[in-house]
Amino acid sequence: MDLSREAVVEGLRAIAGADNVVTERHVLEESSIDRFRMFEGLHGLYTQPLPAAVVMARSTEMIADVLRFANEHGVNVVPRTGQTATEGGLETAVPDSIVLDGSGLDRILAIDEYDMQATCQCGVPLQALEDRVRELGLTTGHSPQSKPLAHLGGLTATRSIGQFSTLYGGIEDMVVGLEAVFPDGTVCRIKNVPRRAVGPDIRHIVIGNEGALCFITEVTVKLFPYLPRNNVFLGYTVDTMEHGFEVLREVMVSGYRPSVARLYDPADGAYHFAHFLPEGLSILIFLAEGPAGVAAATAAGIDDIVAARPECEKVDGRYIETWFADLNWGPDKIAAEREQILQTGNINRTTEVAAGWSAINGIYENAVRRILAEIPDMTMVGGHSSHSYVNGTNMYFNYFYNVVDCGPEGEVTKYHTPINRIICEETLRGGGAIVHHHGLGKARTPWTRDEYGTSYHMLETMKRAFDPNGIMNKGTIIPA
Amino acid sequence: MSEVATGNGPKTVVALDGTCGSVERQARALAGFLRGGVHGDVCVETWVFCDDVCAGERLALLAPTGDVRLAEMPATRPDVMAAVLAEALPAHGVELLLLAGGATGTEVATRVALRTGGGALTDVLDVEPGSEVAVCRRDVYSGHMRGRFALTARPWCLSIDSSWQDALVAPALEHRVLGVVDAVAGTGPSFLEDVELAAPAPDTGIADSRFLVVAGRGVGSSQRVRRVEAAARRMGAAFGVTRPVAMNAWAPMDRLVGISGARAAPALCLVVGASGAPAFYWGIERSDRIVAVDPDEHAPIAAAADAVVRDDGVAVVEALAEIVTRRRSKGRRTT
Amino acid sequence: MRILVCCKVTPDFEALRESEWAAGAGSESEARVETRFTPRVLNCFDEAALETALRLSDQLAARGEEAALAALSVGGQETEPFLATLRALGFERTVRVSPGADLDFRPAATAALIAAAARYLGGGELILLGDRAGPGDGGTVPFRVAEELGRPCLSRVTDVEAPADGRLRVGWTADDGLRRATISRPCILAVGNAVVAHLRVPTLGDRLVVRHHVTEVLSPADLGVDLETAAAAGTCSLMGLDPVDRSRQAELIVGDTSRDRARAVYDAYVRKALEET
Repeated sequence: MDLSREAVVEGLRAIAGADNVVTERHVLEESSIDRFRMFEGLHGLYTQPLPAAVVMARSTEMIADVLRFANEHGVNVVPRTGQTATEGGLETAVPDSIVLDGSGLDRILAIDEYDMQATCQCGVPLQALEDRVRELGLTTGHSPQSKPLAHLGGLTATRSIGQFSTLYGGIEDMVVGLEAVFPDGTVCRIKNVPRRAVGPDIRHIVIGNEGALCFITEVTVKLFPYLPRNNVFLGYTVDTMEHGFEVLREVMVSGYRPSVARLYDPADGAYHFAHFLPEGLSILIFLAEGPAGVAAATAAGIDDIVAARPECEKVDGRYIETWFADLNWGPDKIAAEREQILQTGNINRTTEVAAGWSAINGIYENAVRRILAEIPDMTMVGGHSSHSYVNGTNMYFNYFYNVVDCGPEGEVTKYHTPINRIICEETLRGGGAIVHHHGLGKARTPWTRDEYGTSYHMLETMKRAFDPNGIMNKGTIIPA
Repeated sequence: MSEVATGNGPKTVVALDGTCGSVERQARALAGFLRGGVHGDVCVETWVFCDDVCAGERLALLAPTGDVRLAEMPATRPDVMAAVLAEALPAHGVELLLLAGGATGTEVATRVALRTGGGALTDVLDVEPGSEVAVCRRDVYSGHMRGRFALTARPWCLSIDSSWQDALVAPALEHRVLGVVDAVAGTGPSFLEDVELAAPAPDTGIADSRFLVVAGRGVGSSQRVRRVEAAARRMGAAFGVTRPVAMNAWAPMDRLVGISGARAAPALCLVVGASGAPAFYWGIERSDRIVAVDPDEHAPIAAAADAVVRDDGVAVVEALAEIVTRRRSKGRRTT
Repeated sequence: MRILVCCKVTPDFEALRESEWAAGAGSESEARVETRFTPRVLNCFDEAALETALRLSDQLAARGEEAALAALSVGGQETEPFLATLRALGFERTVRVSPGADLDFRPAATAALIAAAARYLGGGELILLGDRAGPGDGGTVPFRVAEELGRPCLSRVTDVEAPADGRLRVGWTADDGLRRATISRPCILAVGNAVVAHLRVPTLGDRLVVRHHVTEVLSPADLGVDLETAAAAGTCSLMGLDPVDRSRQAELIVGDTSRDRARAVYDAYVRKALEET
């Protein structure tokens, strides 16, 4: 970088206007981290280099101008919208970075009920879009737990996935066209078509780039009919995870597409369902939705598959329905979590991976066994599968530990990173993917090369091509 | 002349703890309850508990009824108050006992009922004393529902809901002190020693405010809560917080609004970033107007407010403060 | 010192939706808020009481005194996971009184069982519990237990300290502010808005150490309590439940910017309120 911190701020003010350039210290501190370093932040400790400023973008042109400025002078830029990232993707790893915030671009630009798609600026909260289209009897089908807080830009940048993905797919299946700005200021628009074969699908350069290649300014997503009146909630206890995975596989391979297909192990199950799940058992959860005939047939099909399994027992679907209604993370829960962590020193973390059916149970068992053996102060280790495909599923490890005998800044190095290492090692050994949907961020970049193998060549070539000066979110995806 | 019907109906005692600073608030609340919360005739007098009978004559002027008796008890000894009432109520043929809401009211109503074989109910919204049964209503399930209860055995020992504390000042009554209630010997020393007031309750102005701004946990951080407070001050509004904000130490506990804290009846309440859970909403539900800023889409307050603003709470409140201060200085310049 | 903490496991009432509340209204025979399918939580004031007891035990240990912690709950099988957690946190005895009946809105019966169980456990110099619990939220149980055991009781307790001089100092929220006093035992402390509200979390290692310990489960008959007589002694019964309608107009304030919306709020509401103050 060839500019001083003050010169960066001056340059930004000239581009964006002083009102849109924030330099208050507490804002810079909070903007230097995301949920990955939440524990430090809760204690008022900020170990990451402070950015020079947060720019509240007001237009695509402003974003292009800021990126051009940063590119010219070699200033690191961290794109963000809803700030719900969990893997360090928003950390300002370089001193005097620019945090470029697109949450002010919050207009829903168009809702097309005939072509079944909605176009939004990057700062539209998913909940806001979902509420709007529900008034029309439609849904985006996208429901990550962060829905009340997350914005379309960030959700696209991280290849997010929602609770109903088994029917609707992940964000990559929902995005139609988009607009993104590249480091040299070039604004690229990809038009809205249902499918095309005009070369490689360039949307996938943008979807999942985590701010390492470009800034997403506009997204068009598909819409679907909203038919909650046909919902059928199903739950079954099962004796082991191995048997549970077999049931999930059979449901998927048979061709059923419930919007929700989950399997909780006894520990994670106890955390959510202690009020009805007997100790030591796992639990399968399904939601069949869609047109009445489809929902009913899906539910009946799943029932038949499970009925043939003596190790499964059906539970009252109202337990599942009640639990589902209270699942999402709004500001209330985030704030309650902060209070709990500060008072108890106990923190909840997650790491999610994916693998084929033949490998997933082994990865789960090996990882849990190693965490219990190698990591101190664990108060809960468990997990669940929540996104299934014909050829495999994910595993969402859910774990809690007491932070003991180390300062807040030690939590990541003493507990979180070693646990991530165990999970990534076991997943790679099993031939799986080390991240299913949270994004690599900076937390799991130590394993980026192992994850990609020889295809790493494609990733680093793209990075060199689109970001030759290395200004886009240094340390994210590509190890620094 | 007293507005409370006297002469007919069950013999009723209103008991005031005159040894603590809240006696005036107790009196106003019970006066309001007698006027608006008792459905039916009662024959009522006030018993003022004080640590000095001479001081009691002065306190008698606060009584919500014309007829007053005095009773002695050491400062803030609800156990003594309960012992005296348990002995004296049957002796005087009293059928209904009313106490102000709060810790003392809960303790005394409960203990007196148990010792006399009567029934107790706390935080009562209203009562209909019948010939056999008293029917009372009170909030249950953290304020999500209202329960109707029947008390059979007398005396019916009730503490009233704190919502009566904002009752209008009772019209002046002509008081006459009928005598002193016989004290009970041998209640023994208190189990509390070396009592100190560690932190006096500051006068936050919340309970008497006419314009109140409340910050909820949706505001998001202690710095943002402070910004909301600063904006409230600039507008001349009182400032309060919901329980999660106080428990997060984003604001002191004395700013708490709701069942565990203060209750207000302002002309306008701005609720910023709060869901409006009943335990909090109780604290503001007597507001003339409620404007909810930045509520969660599905939050209860979105339907329980007169107006809803879907926008960042801090941004809106700060913009409001700017408008108010500009209008204020414009007004000063033209006068 | 023997410390007994009473705790209640309730449905998570905040997880219920408006439709479920509305469906619960009716007369005594019909009125039932359906909570069967709702996750369970520790009553928040009891949780604060448990953590207060643990912190007191830490302080007593620091000044060379031993504390024996026991936990008591009146409830069904849904209480067991919470009692297992308490064993892992160092509660040497965990006792559950299984009432065999629904005790909602029957504080007299609940108090009778708690008092009898406290006697069964040898009294305990200090009894802690939350100062109120749902669904009734009446706050009478601590004082009912106090009457039954012949003990003084203080409510709205915020914390308990064990200073080096051997005494016990208690803080509580009084009408005129935060008060502190030295307490003599035995007594009952009912915890309100405590300084520390959240229960610490045991490690898996802690749980492993006590995995063979079990809850002592007692029935009312084991304690010599006739539930019907105890409940009737309360002479107060629920007649019905009504929904609470707090709805207002809920006009949506529109505008392109925060400033525009603020202006609309000022014109419609704030100006008038300021004129009145």
